[in-house]
Amino acid sequence: MTDHIKPPKRYDVVVIGAGATGAGTARDCAMRGLKVLLVERLDFTAGATGRNHGLLHSGARYAVTDGESATECIKENMILRRIAAHCVEETGGLFVTLPEDSLDYQKTFVESCLRAGINAEVIDPAEALRLEPAVNPDIIGAVKVPDGAVDPFRLTTANALAARQNGADILTYHEVVDFIRSGNRICGVVLRDHHTGELTRVECDIVVNAAGIWGQRIVEMAGAKINMFPAKGALLIFGHRVNNVVINRCRKPADADILVPGDTISLIGTTSSRIPYDQIDNMTVTPEEVDVLLREGIKIAPSLAYTRILRAYAGVRPLIASDDDPSGRSISRGIVCLDHAVRDGIEGFVTISGGKLMTYRLMAEWAADMVCKKLGIEGKKCMTAEIPLPGSDSSDSKEAHSRKHHIIDMSTDQRAAEGRHGSLSSEIPTGDVDDALVCECEAVSVGEVNFAIDKLHVNNLINLRRRTRMGMGTCQGGLCACRAAAILGDRLNCQQKALYDLASFVNERWKGMKPVAWGQTLVEAQFTSWLYEGMCGLDRYQNNEQGNKQ
Amino acid sequence: MNYDTIIIGGGLAGLVAGITLQERGQRTAIITTGQGALHFSSGSLALLSRDADGNPIEKPLEHIDSLPASHPYSKVGAAKAGEHARAVKALFERAGLSMLGSEDSNHYYMTPVGLFKSTWLSTADSAVSPTPDGSGWGRTAIVGIKGFLDFYPGFIADNLAKNGLKCEVAALTTPELEHLRKNNTEMRAPGIAKIMHGEALERFAKAIVAAAPGAETVIIPAVVGLDGQKDIDALRRFTGKNVICLSTHPISVQGVRMQLALRRYYEKMGGTYLLGDNVTAGYMDGDRLKAIDTANLGHGSLTARNFILATGSFFSRGLVAEPDRIFEPVFGVDVVTEGDRSDWFKENIFEEQPFVRFGVATDNDFRVKKDGKTIGNLYAVGSILGGCNSLKEGSGAGVAAVTAMEVANRLADK
Repeated sequence: MTDHIKPPKRYDVVVIGAGATGAGTARDCAMRGLKVLLVERLDFTAGATGRNHGLLHSGARYAVTDGESATECIKENMILRRIAAHCVEETGGLFVTLPEDSLDYQKTFVESCLRAGINAEVIDPAEALRLEPAVNPDIIGAVKVPDGAVDPFRLTTANALAARQNGADILTYHEVVDFIRSGNRICGVVLRDHHTGELTRVECDIVVNAAGIWGQRIVEMAGAKINMFPAKGALLIFGHRVNNVVINRCRKPADADILVPGDTISLIGTTSSRIPYDQIDNMTVTPEEVDVLLREGIKIAPSLAYTRILRAYAGVRPLIASDDDPSGRSISRGIVCLDHAVRDGIEGFVTISGGKLMTYRLMAEWAADMVCKKLGIEGKKCMTAEIPLPGSDSSDSKEAHSRKHHIIDMSTDQRAAEGRHGSLSSEIPTGDVDDALVCECEAVSVGEVNFAIDKLHVNNLINLRRRTRMGMGTCQGGLCACRAAAILGDRLNCQQKALYDLASFVNERWKGMKPVAWGQTLVEAQFTSWLYEGMCGLDRYQNNEQGNKQ
Repeated sequence: MNYDTIIIGGGLAGLVAGITLQERGQRTAIITTGQGALHFSSGSLALLSRDADGNPIEKPLEHIDSLPASHPYSKVGAAKAGEHARAVKALFERAGLSMLGSEDSNHYYMTPVGLFKSTWLSTADSAVSPTPDGSGWGRTAIVGIKGFLDFYPGFIADNLAKNGLKCEVAALTTPELEHLRKNNTEMRAPGIAKIMHGEALERFAKAIVAAAPGAETVIIPAVVGLDGQKDIDALRRFTGKNVICLSTHPISVQGVRMQLALRRYYEKMGGTYLLGDNVTAGYMDGDRLKAIDTANLGHGSLTARNFILATGSFFSRGLVAEPDRIFEPVFGVDVVTEGDRSDWFKENIFEEQPFVRFGVATDNDFRVKKDGKTIGNLYAVGSILGGCNSLKEGSGAGVAAVTAMEVANRLADK
């Protein structure tokens, strides 16, 4: 369900990359009245946005080492609670001191938090245990902070929807393969459609590079150079919600010191390791990373030792070397917004990078400010911190609120859908066949699948998983993927493509299970193999290259 | 309580062994934690479907001699494997299940997505064909059930059309199905099969005829006949059509039918089926297992001359994987594995996965070993054996049935 643009079409701004930052920038620019095209080579959230903790940082994690980031975080934290209520879970957070860690750090930590404007309150360890029974009972210190959980998939989709509501066009599976130039000016992009291979030229006044770690290649394509330092972070997803409050370890940031609850699961992360730039598309989790995450995670919450691990995954933080130090020793962890006209003499080209999921809105604001300045547009104030995102809008949420009063009338599945889509869930068709359940683990109905196909840019099962949580539960798609593939095959009117897609989805689920394939996870993997290869014969569709040609 | 033979594990292998021993005059008990893996099967049992290169095998028995020595079939030998396979089909018949197919030559069954796979025995309602294209079905219609998601007419129609068989596609409903649909979790294959008797079945048959009046063959999801074949026969009689059933995602009605029929027949032959129990300890006397404890029956309660371990592979918890080891959880007997966990798996799920070959160590008589020493009266049968890639070669059910028959015959002859 990609927007169809009829080339040649002109835009004010083309934004490259549909992670949170790119979608946020498209939304901000569109809300300021600019004609925007958002392009993405894969799917929304396919990069670092979809591969992190989903932690609504209070900023406390950064308070000691990076006061500036901490201040930005707490401000954005408060803004997201307002504008993205349906993506946020107000769980609260704890910073706990383990017997092996020093309590001295707690004092520095609390002072730094207060300085950054973060409400950090020292509490009795017994009180912490009452707030969060999963925490290690041997803790010797605890601090309460306003951490929470945020769903990056929903947040990005909501930003993309808002951009579209404000007139933006969106093209997923379209990669920028070249720039259109006129002298030293970038005046458009050449896009390749990943499904058809077709090339399209799109002209514009400004290109915003919000491609995350892939942004280095975009800058190189434009004829300049930036030095990015990919830092890989690995995480483990547990099979159920172990904790209801975010648990951080109160020590200098290190491996596996944050346990975050999110929807039906909990996440432990992360590791941090520098990887060569040519490895950024090769995110496999090593046995060593799994061992570290598990060993350290068990210290925070002992029950993780016997909790099923659903899968492991890794993302890449896009860190940028400061311009005055290309060696990379001095890395900026803050937001980097580059006007390449000033920096490299290339007109019409802006890069927004660095930062973190928590500051995506602020990054978007900086980028949109720079776009407006370069276009000579004045008096267009940024409104993204005031106006709620689709799904969290007040007009609709009144209805949602009144529905909650009659919650007994709603099925479990409808409630799950409301949790996922906020006020937009009223658009999900219900009744008759639409109520049939596709994904039992996450309670996704036929209606919700159809809603996602119609409204949320869904072309394949991975898209559908990111929009609805289909296949994210304990069966990891074993039962639901085939049902969803059948619906997609009918709706997209291409059965063979849907079968190739199904095989590739089953394989994608396995890639995350493989690093943790023991116990129940191996049982599930063997079960999935029996069903899809043994019973269905889907191994005949494993070559996805052919699938793309279909 | 004392038995001639105690069998641990009540799936296909355990039941075939138990039935054979009962029929030959032994007193046996089966101890089983849960239902066997048949509940998740396709309704077709494969003996040996593909060679090492993945090509379909037409005559499975002729390939047994070329298998590696570690393969369970190699330990049985081609001639005896053929006899056992024939005996298994006859055993199913006595248990009330007429299976289609023969060990001499594989046939094809249609999978839930409309592909054809080579196989040995199929339940009487399966969508089988001598060639991989559905030839001989005549005018064919695909009839789904409204709101039932585990049947994929689009995939089936498209793949059959690629084979040159154009089908009509329709969907039906009946008052009973409408009632069932009010509850999402009931609208699965076994939920439907539970109500498909008597008048409900007659109305279902009428709806099939109305949906596909001109068709000779009608393909429906396997939602009839949980309790033996009689409802399938009735459906074919009511419709006057060749109604064929495609296995669904679990729980599989055809699989439950096989499991139930075998279990009932085992009990009818005088076997003791202890469902929901598990072995908690084993007591050795020299190199022989003397007695076992179970969770429900307690200490020292069960003794036997011989024991059979038929607890399955990882899926059935016959083998258990931990981050740094793979073990057999009932007796801790020796397991044959390869390397550490980075060697157990391959990146692509459809590649040949090493862990599938893992299994307990046995001698040529299928007696297991512990700490390198053979336990004289503890035998392993079925998918706990390892030594072959049952998924790739299509031999899981065949290995279960043939090795169970082999060991049961040996014990009965003693």
